[in-house]
Amino acid sequence: MSTSVSEPKAATAIRIADVCKNYGDYQVLKNINAEVARGEVVVICGPSGSGKSTLIRTVNRLEEINSGGISFEGQNIHAPMRGSELNKLRSRIGFVFQSFNLFPHLSVVDNVSMSPIRVKGVSADVAHDKALKLLDRVGLADKANSYPGQLSGGQQQRVAIARALAMEPPVMLFDEPTSALDPEMVGEVLSVMKSLAAEGMTMLCVTHEMGFARDVADRIWFIDAGEILETAPPEDFFKNPRHPRAQRFLADLRH
Amino acid sequence: MIQDFINIINDYWLLLLIGQYPNGPLGGLANTLILSALAIALAFPVSILMALARLSKWRLLRWPVTGLVYVTRGVPLLMLILWCYFVIPLWTGADVPSFLIMLVTLVIYQGAFLSEVVRAGIVSLGQGQMDAAKALGHGHMSAMRFVILPQALYNMIPSMISTFVSTIKDTTLGYVINVPDLTFAASQVNNQLLTQPFQVFLILAVVYYILCWSLTYVANSIERRITRRRAGPRNARLPAEAAPLKTITEQL
Repeated sequence: MSTSVSEPKAATAIRIADVCKNYGDYQVLKNINAEVARGEVVVICGPSGSGKSTLIRTVNRLEEINSGGISFEGQNIHAPMRGSELNKLRSRIGFVFQSFNLFPHLSVVDNVSMSPIRVKGVSADVAHDKALKLLDRVGLADKANSYPGQLSGGQQQRVAIARALAMEPPVMLFDEPTSALDPEMVGEVLSVMKSLAAEGMTMLCVTHEMGFARDVADRIWFIDAGEILETAPPEDFFKNPRHPRAQRFLADLRH
Repeated sequence: MIQDFINIINDYWLLLLIGQYPNGPLGGLANTLILSALAIALAFPVSILMALARLSKWRLLRWPVTGLVYVTRGVPLLMLILWCYFVIPLWTGADVPSFLIMLVTLVIYQGAFLSEVVRAGIVSLGQGQMDAAKALGHGHMSAMRFVILPQALYNMIPSMISTFVSTIKDTTLGYVINVPDLTFAASQVNNQLLTQPFQVFLILAVVYYILCWSLTYVANSIERRITRRRAGPRNARLPAEAAPLKTITEQL
């Protein structure tokens, strides 16, 4: 964490510099260096246990790191800072979980409007209207008064996306957003993500949906054993993977 | 036999209801109700604070409270009451009323038990809810207040009712330090009659049963109302009716 993270260029949304993370003796992330440009959609792929989820969780500091730094809007999110400062930074990074993590005790519209009210101090009326608009955008306006337990997985994940968007983050992180879904529900979530990408949202996604990666991503990061082995635009990555490990990974996917 | 009960109630209802009041301190059922209500009302917030302290990352907060919970769980309530009764006046030199000593002891004792219930409720929610709240920019306390505790406390309603009910029953132990409660009044009645202990103490038992049962009933209907409001597959698995609260008594 001592490494200073230099001021990013205006076009850089997230800069990951020399990030290392250990669980005891086991090194999960090995000297990761990478950047996400504003408006860019990056898909992180790689075999399970490679450190994808850990990496994306370090970006909003749900996981701590052992050394290096991650700069977001010119601030190192892993620098020592007051809790309130960290909360403010986090509130500007949308995060979508594999297991949705909706708040089951709140109605759908309250799930979406609660944090703008409690964290940003938006008035209840304004937050409520905004929440209804966001729910409309993810196609769930009619479910506003339902509870998460009454929704399908795909609907829950779309609510979770609306909930993250309600904080108006300039960046969205997706941690395997479709992995916990039944196959027929994957499409509805991906189409919401596609429309977000089309609107120019900066996105960093861990996903196994190679079709989504091919269609939407600007760049792929291929990660294995805690190292980024290859970064390439999707057409290059899928047609001519350079790293042997990436070649094997893609060959395994086709089977 | 039935006539005995009617006679006792006819003759002593006022003593059983309010003790010696207004010629002496307020006692009887009124005092039992006040003591129970205060003990529950104070033990509840105390237990939440203790649970949060036990889950805190600061050792200075975590260790003393953990120690207190362990000691309290390992000592019979009666010991704790007697100990407070004899030691607190020695330490403070003040003449602390036995009602206050009983109240403080109950709050600490039941607070410690309840804090374990609350802690279990928080821990059983898993990390995901806390992560989600943090990712949205909530601080630890804000996440606790708006996300974690509303769920943890709701999930723990049955166990909390058990503790509340046993709090009501534990107020009877105030008898040993002369807290003028319902048990004390019944014992006075018994001392005057001398020949009808069965009748007197059966009346006492019935009154306590009604008290505890009403609390359970009210709490059940609150739980059912919340369940209905949140109705969905998640909660449908555990309808409140199907789980007639495990309130019988998980006597501690």
